[in-house]
Amino acid sequence: MNRLFFGAALAAVLGATPAWATELTVITAGDQNMVDYINNYLAPIFEKQNPGDTVKAVGTGPGDAGSQKIIERLEAQKQANKDKWDVDVAVVHEKAAGDLVKDDLLKKYRADIKTGSMVTRSNADMALGTDVKGYVMPMFNSQTAIAYNPALVPNPPKTYADLAKWVEKNPKQFGYNGIKGGMSGVAFVVGWVYANAGDAKTLEQGPYKPDEKADWSKALGELKTFNQNVTFTPGNAGTLDMLARGEIAMGPVWVDMFYSWQASGQLPPDLKLILPSPGMPGQPMHYVIPAKAEHPKLAEKFIALATSPDVQANGIVKKFNWYPGIDADHVKPKLDEATWNKLFTDISPKELADYGKPFPIKPYFDGILEAYEKQVAN
Amino acid sequence: MRRYLPGLLLVSPALAIIVFLFLVPLAGAVTGAFQDADGGFSFGNFIKTYQLYSNDILFTIVIVALSALLTAALSVAIAGYLTLGTSPAAVAILRWLYRWPLFIPFIVVGQILRTFLAKNGLMNNIFVATGLITPLHTVGFLDWRGIVIAFVWKQTPFVTLLLAGAMASIDRGTVEAARNLGASRLRILLEIVLPQAAPTLMVALTLSIVTMMSVLSVPLMIASQSPTVITVDMAFRINAYGDYGVANALGLISLVLTGAVAWIYLRQTMRENAR
Repeated sequence: MNRLFFGAALAAVLGATPAWATELTVITAGDQNMVDYINNYLAPIFEKQNPGDTVKAVGTGPGDAGSQKIIERLEAQKQANKDKWDVDVAVVHEKAAGDLVKDDLLKKYRADIKTGSMVTRSNADMALGTDVKGYVMPMFNSQTAIAYNPALVPNPPKTYADLAKWVEKNPKQFGYNGIKGGMSGVAFVVGWVYANAGDAKTLEQGPYKPDEKADWSKALGELKTFNQNVTFTPGNAGTLDMLARGEIAMGPVWVDMFYSWQASGQLPPDLKLILPSPGMPGQPMHYVIPAKAEHPKLAEKFIALATSPDVQANGIVKKFNWYPGIDADHVKPKLDEATWNKLFTDISPKELADYGKPFPIKPYFDGILEAYEKQVAN
Repeated sequence: MRRYLPGLLLVSPALAIIVFLFLVPLAGAVTGAFQDADGGFSFGNFIKTYQLYSNDILFTIVIVALSALLTAALSVAIAGYLTLGTSPAAVAILRWLYRWPLFIPFIVVGQILRTFLAKNGLMNNIFVATGLITPLHTVGFLDWRGIVIAFVWKQTPFVTLLLAGAMASIDRGTVEAARNLGASRLRILLEIVLPQAAPTLMVALTLSIVTMMSVLSVPLMIASQSPTVITVDMAFRINAYGDYGVANALGLISLVLTGAVAWIYLRQTMRENAR
């Protein structure tokens, strides 16, 4: 009797949901802040504009690991020959965007939405050597840099070469998280290879020449020596933690994390950033629509909103301290001078243009990481 | 045949679960370890594993062995006091206290120790505040020592729980006899009680070693740089490169390591049973 009653009640509740209401499933790689951004900031705006529709955001975890899960999920549904995939919008890292396009898992949609023409950066066309033009809309651009404590380091090293000398004189005062604890350490290692292994342009743009690897051994050998005098930190947040506790005086960090931690009081306000020459890598995160998304039209609407100048200004720049995904000229008029300048307090737009690098193309990127494991770590 | 049918039917659900959820994936991982990118048979994954992770494999063995030894020493001490202690109040307090870490997940242990063991973390701050050391002499433990501390802290209660039970169930007469003859408590523990409870200690340590070999969260939270343990490398292999081949090879190696421990233990018990 009871079971019957509950069954009837359940049916009534399910039946009561209006037929026109659509639930848009957004799946995102990255830290919890990505899920929070979509659930707490984007979803309410979208739901207000599209009454009845709801947004459900699911996180798959930080770093390339999170993106890898998204690839595997879509791949599995493709293998199973499903007509409708259970993801409408995915947010992925650069490396994954290339793989998704190569595996035919995405829909080409950028020309169909209004904000598509506002994208100007080349990393929205090429993702680590793969042509992704039309398939991705950058959600934001982020950048790594070296954070330092001016009280301990009044004249921070401005180049990788100076940094190496500084570390020799100040052992254990520089800290980074290796390559297995998050992307800020990976970015530092890539910057080191750019600085010390010659042909950075080929690494960034290709074409891929398998024999290039031989040239890294000297740079990585020097990195092994350099590592003798650094402190290893547990992860991206671990580096910031150690900076905050004064255990290290310098370390590579993500610019957005740095500003967010400073804004919430987790980092002392006097810490500063520097982008050393010849540069450190940064990366965008991209909005993509799976090839067989269940609600492609609504997904486009959602991404158009997320990449509109208003949302890019108030959400991406103001709330999360990321650099905008669409061209900055569209975003700047929507913000007051102070907010805009805060983004460029320590790193000027010119420095960002000169020293903000992309990550290497995928075969080189994997090659560098593997060479590091082989030569520096083992 | 008909006689066995009901029995076989009863066993079949459990058997099916083991076959489909354990044996089949295990076979997949083992064959995957010997396949190259095109699916052909190759030792390539193992060669790469050796080139990239030989240090980490050694490091894992050392960390786990050291943790197991320390865990054994601590749990013998605690279980010994619970069995032979003369102050009822102290025994009651210890009995209540030692089990706490049992209920704390590994990831939380990693999270706690990450801030506790840091160079300017809670532990060193307490030492500095009490004047035991000066700020210049603080040392961070967020490296292999942190992993060992986390493992020992988490596994000691488990081993103690089993060991104390075994010690409580041995014939009290042997203990009383030794006491009457004037043996010290330490001597009773090491020469009378421990040998009788040794098989249980071995089981508990074997289980602990298998557990420690499989923990990813603690090394990831405390020390994921080089050298690190096999689990971190497996996760990295899949997450950074999508390379299941080398990850499978690493998995197989850790399976061989735990298998070796289990084999030593089994041989030991069989020899004892034969006696």
